[in-house]
Amino acid sequence: MIQARDVSKEYVDGDGTRVRVLDGMSLDVAEGEFVAVVGSSGSGKSTLLHLLGGLDVDYRGELAVGGVKLRGMGDKALARFRNAHVGFVFQSFHLIPNLSAVENVLLPSHFGAAPADARKRAEALLERVGLGAKKDRAPVRLSGGERQRVAIARALFNQPKLLLCDEPTGNLDAATGSGVISLFQELHKEGLTLLCVTHEERMSAAAGRVLRLKDGRLVEERAGSQVAAGGAP
Amino acid sequence: MRLDALTRLVRLSLARERKGAFFSAFGVAMGVGALVFFVGLGLGVGTVIREKIFPTDARLVDVVPPAVSLGSLLGGGKLDAPTVERLRALPGVEAAYRKMNVRVPAVTRYDGVFFGSKLRMGMEVLALGVEPELVKGDVQLGEFKDAGEGQPIPALVSTRLLELYNKTFAPARKLPQLSANMLVGFGFPVEFNRSYVAAASASGATQSAQAQVVGASDRALLAGITIPLDAAVRLNRAFNMDAENYSGVTLIATDPSQVPAIVDAVKGMGLEIDDQERRMAENSGAAVALTTSALALLSILICVLAAVNIAHALSASVRARAKEIGVMQAVGASRADVRAIVLAEASVIGLAGGASGTAAALLLALGVNRLAASHLPNFPFKPDSFFSFPWPVVAGGVLLGLVAALAGAYFPSRRAAATDPARTLAG
Repeated sequence: MIQARDVSKEYVDGDGTRVRVLDGMSLDVAEGEFVAVVGSSGSGKSTLLHLLGGLDVDYRGELAVGGVKLRGMGDKALARFRNAHVGFVFQSFHLIPNLSAVENVLLPSHFGAAPADARKRAEALLERVGLGAKKDRAPVRLSGGERQRVAIARALFNQPKLLLCDEPTGNLDAATGSGVISLFQELHKEGLTLLCVTHEERMSAAAGRVLRLKDGRLVEERAGSQVAAGGAP
Repeated sequence: MRLDALTRLVRLSLARERKGAFFSAFGVAMGVGALVFFVGLGLGVGTVIREKIFPTDARLVDVVPPAVSLGSLLGGGKLDAPTVERLRALPGVEAAYRKMNVRVPAVTRYDGVFFGSKLRMGMEVLALGVEPELVKGDVQLGEFKDAGEGQPIPALVSTRLLELYNKTFAPARKLPQLSANMLVGFGFPVEFNRSYVAAASASGATQSAQAQVVGASDRALLAGITIPLDAAVRLNRAFNMDAENYSGVTLIATDPSQVPAIVDAVKGMGLEIDDQERRMAENSGAAVALTTSALALLSILICVLAAVNIAHALSASVRARAKEIGVMQAVGASRADVRAIVLAEASVIGLAGGASGTAAALLLALGVNRLAASHLPNFPFKPDSFFSFPWPVVAGGVLLGLVAALAGAYFPSRRAAATDPARTLAG
């Protein structure tokens, strides 16, 4: 699903100093894997996520996601790639405040070929994440966990091959975070490829493989324990 | 991006930023409304000048003999029959109509009932003879030709003279207001070779005749009566005045574009052009156009300020919505989609502002017309409407609103499209 070869990323900070945030990273993720990426702040986890999702195109090396080589793609092609192949889940949910839950889930349909049953699909996704009864609520009237579940439903709307999650439980309490992790495990069982950047021990425990980054390099790779969010393996 | 999706996103965005959108649209409406109002006023006043005060036909060229010339002193520069034929034969001339003044003074003395009022009045009368073809569209009674001595002389009065009478003389003297139709058939006595202010210029006795109004015409003499050319020739002959040379010739060009060449050819023949009225019309028109342009410029400045206001409002909105734009990019919006959303928001603001500004200008014009009708005195040439709003002005107003808004949205839309989703969505 993911092939990264010798990927490097630099930026110039406010002092004019060149900062290398990814340094020759190579990585393979098979289809259907659940991978957790851990590491301290500034280790390059989120940058890796943005590169894989086609949100950032300024890098060196080669990246391919789902057989699509990202280098050299134009803006429109990248937008289509993000719309059709990738789903994003962010720590801060990033729901659009003046749209209801179901309208937030429908957002990807505005930028691609909208299925005829778009609304039905969005409502079904909300049912699946346990928010069928709250589909018309504005984000401000939902709890943190509920907002994150709306964001997950939105990420799943176009049936992506890859779900990229950036600290998805970072703003949630333990119980709510467990619910989200359980949901990810369900999706993984259904064959979805997940790559989650996390500080959360339970999340890395739930993953099938854990990658540790340090200073932009992959320094450790180990198998996860695929522990259920509730605690049992 | 599909139109229905774009419409939905724009509607939601404008609904959230209702207040800002309202003030942006209001600014556009002010500028567009002022522009449409002043342009409509300029066009309306211009129409009154062109059609009522100085009615001129773009194809008409009035030829007169030179006032003073070496040629006239030597017997040249006259408008005799051969000269008229030469004028008629000029390239671009469709027709040539002769005119001849009655070259003796004339007076009218009226003592009787004048449309229900007792009137006793005497006044000098200027009479100009014209070919019937020149005024055939304005004659409402009988034929415009001289029936001979002892018979009533058909006479046309100037529509402008009638307007001046109705708006100034009649109210001052408590006389009835008259229309051209009312005057048709009205007869009044005229004594030729008689004057209240000068000695008779021809020898012999005076000659009395009855003039009968047969209509009103824009082409009639302003301060006098217009009679058939044959009648003027007959009267001049009767008083041994010059009945061979014409006082003027009106040329009709095949096309207005031929007029400059005709004017040059006429001047080349040693004759002059009587373009006093045309010049007055042009000068008045230019004054109106200048004033309208100054006011239009001011209005356009308001539109520019509205565009700047939209630029500020949208820039602030784009900054505030950076994360939202980043989310849209994450779920599949391209830069072009983001730009389209911002430009579409501006288009809605511009169209709403342009349409409401134009509508406000039309309503204000209606109000001004009503106020003018009820509160302004009934001065000569007072129009029913001071405004003219042809469809290009109305459509142009709406379009200007759109253009101003899009101009204001140009940089904010570029800034929105340049949003870096990786940066805005981090953390």
